[in-house]
Amino acid sequence: MNSPEASGAIPLGAADVSIAAALILLAAGVSLALRLHLERRLALAAVRTVVQLLLIGYVLKWVFDLEWFVAVVAVAFVMVLAASRAAVQRPSRTFHGATWRAFVSLVVCGFLTTVFVTGVVVGKRPWYAPQYFIPLLGMVLGNGLTGISLCLDHLLESLVERRGEVEMELAHGATRWEAGRDPLADAVRRGMIPIINSMMVVGIVALPGMMTGQILAGANPIEAVKYQIVVMFMIAGATSFGCIMTALLAYRRLFNARHQLEVGLISFQEERH
Amino acid sequence: MAGAGLEVRNLAVGAAGGAILTGVNLTAAPGELVAVTGPSGCGKTTLLRTVAGLLDALSGTIHLDGHTPAAFGWPQYRRRVVLVDQQPVLLDRSVEENLKRPFSYQSANGGFPAARARTLLDRLGLEPDRWDQRARALSVGQQQRVCLVRALLLAPAVVLLDEPTSALDEAATGAAHVLLREEATERGLAAVVVTHNRQQAPEWRLPMTDLRTNMNGPRAANQEPRHEQS
Repeated sequence: MNSPEASGAIPLGAADVSIAAALILLAAGVSLALRLHLERRLALAAVRTVVQLLLIGYVLKWVFDLEWFVAVVAVAFVMVLAASRAAVQRPSRTFHGATWRAFVSLVVCGFLTTVFVTGVVVGKRPWYAPQYFIPLLGMVLGNGLTGISLCLDHLLESLVERRGEVEMELAHGATRWEAGRDPLADAVRRGMIPIINSMMVVGIVALPGMMTGQILAGANPIEAVKYQIVVMFMIAGATSFGCIMTALLAYRRLFNARHQLEVGLISFQEERH
Repeated sequence: MAGAGLEVRNLAVGAAGGAILTGVNLTAAPGELVAVTGPSGCGKTTLLRTVAGLLDALSGTIHLDGHTPAAFGWPQYRRRVVLVDQQPVLLDRSVEENLKRPFSYQSANGGFPAARARTLLDRLGLEPDRWDQRARALSVGQQQRVCLVRALLLAPAVVLLDEPTSALDEAATGAAHVLLREEATERGLAAVVVTHNRQQAPEWRLPMTDLRTNMNGPRAANQEPRHEQS
């Protein structure tokens, strides 16, 4: 593998990272001055960023060196599990069994999409080559969990808020699918908003992180753009399938075989901040 | 075995945590209008929602024309036994679209009867120019009448009416009563009218089931035991 210098990236030392931390200190100072009470959370977030990234850096180095199927799948499993937990913790409401439904959606949509992209689009052999598979999976999951949590949040909120409408439709002979279709479609649309917005402005308002990273590391911008296009399509596909699947699995849980809306299964969850 | 019309036997309704009404018996033969009364909060609405199949009964049976709701298929059953809520629920669309909506469901077995819809609206005092108006822009009383028309357009066997005239003035209440009577006589419609107003049943000449003897839990102790059924 090329060294960072050989590939064009300027190596960063501990001192450089510390200087960057001054920006966080500055933000904390502003928070103190304006009494925003953000300084503790900012400090915690900064520490978590350092610790989590260092840890994942060592884990990735170990997995990259090993290039062993079982190790890659184990890391992927932990990533999907963490993403599914995060996806169901963000919405203000939840229901029993939401986590495993998000997990199944992320496995089926996120994992399989990444396998497809690594193995077919990029054509890397083996498909689980960790240097490709794990970063791509990370991007899919990061975006997928945002989409899924928005989708779930909107679906649960909407079924509670629009319970009257849904039950009115059921009371006039609608099937559970006919009664739940509008809230379901709205929820999937809501889950897709961030990625569609990103796709609309990519390259104009913002340069995506991965592309920026590749360019900073000395890659040809055209090659970086090609990768970014593949990544955007991969994220959009996985997020839309993930949202649709999560919404359908939630719908199957919340509407029973007697075509009743079991709104009692939906509960508030404590805010985790 | 259960006969024609709606037959509810020994029904217990409520949440899994406990029944709020037990031992409810109720029949509504074709062409019959019956009233169900009871104090506010005694479970009248829960009873209607259970009979409509929107909630599960804790125990007891419901039959329509001798068949269970499951035998009809739940959507088909609910089309035959239509619930009209006390609080009017209309989609944020025109009156016409609201009335048409149930004819877009798989369970629909005919087209939208536009002429009959206009006639029924007119009978309940809603002018033709309301047709294209946003349903939610109507007054609550007008919305309640649109909901009643939407239910009657399905030509159900039974309508379950939850305080159907709570937002209507005297004239509109009279018109609704006359219309229900005609639907009962001419089309064999059965109606179960839930009301907390014990005066409405005798005024409408309805046989009455008083739920006070079926009440369960602490509220029941405060009610004098009485059961009127004619």
